[in-house]
Amino acid sequence: MASVKKYAAIYVVLLVLAAGKFVFFELDQVFGYWDAFTGVMALAVAKTALIMWYYQHLNEEPRSITYLVLGSYFLVLLLAAAATFSITSGVY
Amino acid sequence: MSELPPKSSVKRWLVTTNHKDIGILYTVTALFFLVFGGILALLIRAQLWGDLGDGRLMSGLAYNEAVTAHGLVMVFWFLSPFAFAFANYLVPLQIGADDLAFPRLNALSFWLYAFSGVLLGISFFQGGTLDAGWTIYAPLNLPAYTPSIGSTTAILALFMFVVGVTASTMNFLVTIHHSRAEGMGLMDMPLFTWSILLTVWMMLFAFATLLAVGLILASDRIFGSLFFDATTEGGSLLWGHLFWFFGHPEVYIVFFPALGVMFEVFQSFSGRRIVGRKWVIAALILIAVQSFLVWMHHMFLTTINLEIKTLMMALTIGISLPFDLIVFALIYTLIKGRIRYTTPFLYSFGALFFIVVGGITGVFLGAIVLDYEFRGTYWVVAHFHYIMFGGATALFGGLYYWFPKMTGRMYNELWGKLQFAVFFVGFNLVYFSMFAAWETPRRVFEYVEAMTPIHRVGTVGAFILAFSFLMMFYIFAHALRHGEKVGDNPWDYTRTTEWAVPSPPPLENWEGRPSFEGGSLNFVSKATDGGHASAHDHEGHADHASIWPFAISVSMLVLLLGLSGLTVWNGREITGVSTGYAAVTAIGTVAFLGSMLQFGREGFSAPQPAVAERWPFEGMDKNKLGTWFFIASDIMVFGAFITAAIFIRFEAGWTTWQPVTDSIYGLVNTFILLTSSFAVVLALVYARRGSKKGTMAAIGATMFLGLSFMAVKAVEWHEKFFIDGVSWATNVQYTTYFMTTGLHALHVLLGLMIAAWLIFRTKEGAYMDDDRPIELFGIYWHFVDIVWVFLFPLFYLF
Amino acid sequence: MHRTTETVNAVFQPMAHAGQEGWQAQAEVFWEVFSVFAAVGILVGVVVVAYMMYNVYKYRDSEDASGEVESVEVGELPRDAMSKKSKKLFVSLALSAVIVIVLVVYAYTALLYVEAGPEVEEDAEMHVHVEGYQFGWDFEYENGHVEAGTMRIPENTVVRVTVTSRDVWHNFGISELRVKADSIPGQTAETWISAEEGEYLIECFELCGDAHSQMVATLDVMEEDEFEEWYEGTNPEDETEEAEG
Ligand code: HEM
Ligand SMILES: [Cu+2]
Ligand SMILES: [Cu+2]
Repeated sequence: MASVKKYAAIYVVLLVLAAGKFVFFELDQVFGYWDAFTGVMALAVAKTALIMWYYQHLNEEPRSITYLVLGSYFLVLLLAAAATFSITSGVY
Repeated sequence: MSELPPKSSVKRWLVTTNHKDIGILYTVTALFFLVFGGILALLIRAQLWGDLGDGRLMSGLAYNEAVTAHGLVMVFWFLSPFAFAFANYLVPLQIGADDLAFPRLNALSFWLYAFSGVLLGISFFQGGTLDAGWTIYAPLNLPAYTPSIGSTTAILALFMFVVGVTASTMNFLVTIHHSRAEGMGLMDMPLFTWSILLTVWMMLFAFATLLAVGLILASDRIFGSLFFDATTEGGSLLWGHLFWFFGHPEVYIVFFPALGVMFEVFQSFSGRRIVGRKWVIAALILIAVQSFLVWMHHMFLTTINLEIKTLMMALTIGISLPFDLIVFALIYTLIKGRIRYTTPFLYSFGALFFIVVGGITGVFLGAIVLDYEFRGTYWVVAHFHYIMFGGATALFGGLYYWFPKMTGRMYNELWGKLQFAVFFVGFNLVYFSMFAAWETPRRVFEYVEAMTPIHRVGTVGAFILAFSFLMMFYIFAHALRHGEKVGDNPWDYTRTTEWAVPSPPPLENWEGRPSFEGGSLNFVSKATDGGHASAHDHEGHADHASIWPFAISVSMLVLLLGLSGLTVWNGREITGVSTGYAAVTAIGTVAFLGSMLQFGREGFSAPQPAVAERWPFEGMDKNKLGTWFFIASDIMVFGAFITAAIFIRFEAGWTTWQPVTDSIYGLVNTFILLTSSFAVVLALVYARRGSKKGTMAAIGATMFLGLSFMAVKAVEWHEKFFIDGVSWATNVQYTTYFMTTGLHALHVLLGLMIAAWLIFRTKEGAYMDDDRPIELFGIYWHFVDIVWVFLFPLFYLF
Repeated sequence: MHRTTETVNAVFQPMAHAGQEGWQAQAEVFWEVFSVFAAVGILVGVVVVAYMMYNVYKYRDSEDASGEVESVEVGELPRDAMSKKSKKLFVSLALSAVIVIVLVVYAYTALLYVEAGPEVEEDAEMHVHVEGYQFGWDFEYENGHVEAGTMRIPENTVVRVTVTSRDVWHNFGISELRVKADSIPGQTAETWISAEEGEYLIECFELCGDAHSQMVATLDVMEEDEFEEWYEGTNPEDETEEAEG
């Protein structure tokens, strides 16, 4: 358990990151579609990491729990990426 | 309600939560489904005989129903549950535990399984059951092509089955990682337990995907969403990917426990320990991991690109190598042994033969040029029966092997051998003939004339095979009454600990606390258990009976049965509701919620062992560990929905889609959920401080924010439905948007219900010295928040 | 595409010349690869099974048994088994790995050949578009003519075939020619045919509904001239008028 102060600080960071996502797509003169896409995904991953680590207290559990959850995320990523890649015309 | 009635009373079997009782229930039920699936198989074979004088036995439709139900029943309702009958009975005994980690949940899994089978049975009488094959390809799986109500019921039955399986998976994972007796490291576990452990690890990810597939399909059929209907956006291929992402691991899921039985039986009847034990375990782990990397070898003929096919081919061949190692290890284990040709051994040895044949023919399929021709033919049917039924063969060996342990009586060995001989002959007649007739298309009964004699050989074989099962049932029935009584260990060369207790073992399994400290089993008696004794005694009395698992399952059956006839509320209008089905749904819903509530309120104590090996999850409470396994599988469920959305959008042309809704709704809800996450954290802080008021206020704030989230959602959806006039049935883009965010909203709703319960309990002063439930709720709620972190960009920004 | 064909032809050269006009039809490729796999598969199967049987007999438990039993105390952890020798295991594994990998690499070169199709001059090639439906097959020609139930093609000509479906998932297959392609709604799969004169059975290889068993069609491979004559006679313009009128 961390202090309330620390939790609050993380909360503020999360709010800022969330707002950041929105901003990427509002400033469409500055960022192209795919830049914004990439930026937003990066922010989403950062937010997820913060929530998992500090709010779900993965930092206090055996490391194996982290690996378990990462395993699930990896499989989802694999399924989505490989399935989608399979219907492209390939790299040749 | 904790006293357990005697075994002679029917009530005992309805309320029991003991792992050995549940194991027996699984055995009997699985064998019942074997007979059910077997009769369907005989119908199929009779149809393949040819013209019976005045036409065929069945119409085309009836034949398809038989083929479909046969596949579903054998794979889902017979094979896996049969394996888990042994797992239930033996895993706790093999690792020195008193029971599974969550005995009442285990009973719930069983009853969900049993009644899902009843539901499948009912589907036959609702205008015919599903007729789309066990692989249920899209879009044949939609009401446009399979319109019977029974088809929907069959899908819901599968869904119900999967819910039970998911609970069981988490139960076994926690048990094996949390309740191993002192001194039993993971590498010390018997190989049967190892095979179950790896099976449930695969199930954790694979069945969660199937759960999502079931939800998506049910939503397409009942609510008229358009996932699999969207054929121009790749809906058919989407089914292929989602189904086989589950389906390939599934073939190993049904197969691993059989390998586990073979390891035990080979060791016990040769008197030798397995050769290369650690490499065998490594090979099993490798296969379990790789099983998630080869699913597209079932899709070689589809329009997927050559690169991915090449990759899948390489990985498929890769996965056959660890299998080779296992086969060699089994063979080498026999060398220098003193092999006894008992029935269990004959069965395991026969299984090894089948697997060699199945494995070699599998390599043919792995070579894409050959698969191009084998696809959809009897070659595939023969291949997977050699492997899967080969696996079942080993499990029958397991039944002979553990029969004396489970019943305390010995079967007639000579009859057993005779029965095996008939079985073996019948088996090869049916399935080897399929290689000879391999050009016949699968699931077709009008084949070219020249194949007739070969198919007739198969049909004769099938009846011989069926006869061998009658023999088997007779042998066991006879042994139950007249079999010789056996002691702890009727076989000589066994080493695993189920043979160290009486046959059948007493309710609590052990006298004293089992420990493997020092390398072999010994018991720490209560008197000498020193410091631990008090801990053990303190948690003390365990409950063994509850009727609520049974009640929940019956009411879920009623609920789903009602739903099956409630076709189509497509978001704007209700079409085709029959009042009868609506009434059944209503009754089922009330009964379901009521029995769930009772389940939650019932005090049921299942103490966790004070001393146990828990690698790699040391120091964790079992409920928390269970929660994390649940989260891991829920990630897969959402993952399948998100994959569907991405895949469909990609096929449609990614940038041709714009978000269908104003991003401001998503943004506001993002802030609301983040804030609620913060509130949940505060609740835990206050609970730790012992502040009842603070805790209640913080959970209250969470609830308020959750309700606000739902309110914003309501405004957003109201706009869609009533101002824009769209719904999920408008087009597939709306389908992905509504159904994925809808599933998330359901999670929020569930969270709100739990929060209300927590506030109620906090008020009663519940969590001031044990704040664990609040922590678990927090883990869940944060997860719901995390899902939104991804849904927001996917549906509101991109 | 053509790049891969060349490298593949290097491997498939000898057979390529054995077939007519320097390439092999799918049935020939299949037959060759299948024969190799079958030979190796049967050999391996027989050796493994014979070895199994030999040992299970040799080490049977009997009066004069030559084997011996390892420690069998109930409840003993299998730690002694961890250190058992496994050299033989790895030798066998390596051997099987070599066999399997060689087989698959060999089969892969054949796959690339089949995927690319034979190299032919553009105008020697013909295209037929196949559409499956519950329960039959339509064949659309380059001039727009649609033929139901019978697919007519000239003999010994490479015919490019694209396959799709109007409703559910089917599978278009001609066993005798070893030609097969999924017929999936919304997708277009490709394959090619080249055959001798004669009639061949077209079947559906994916469960598609109650008349799946009856979902057959005929492939009629005609003599060049005969085909030309038939093809000249098809006039899609007339057909649409008829349909409208
Ligand atoms: C040497 C190892 C194996 C290889 C290389 C292999 C390869 C394959 C391939 C490529 C297919 C797809 C065939 C097609 O539909 O065209 C297939 C089908 C199948 N395999 Fe295997 N396999 C192996 C072992 C197993 C095992 C261990 C099991 C089960 C315990 C299994 C069960 C199945 C099933 C059920 C199907 C058919 C599914 C269906 O279409 O209904 N296979 N196998
Ligand atoms: Cu597979
Ligand atoms: Cu068909």
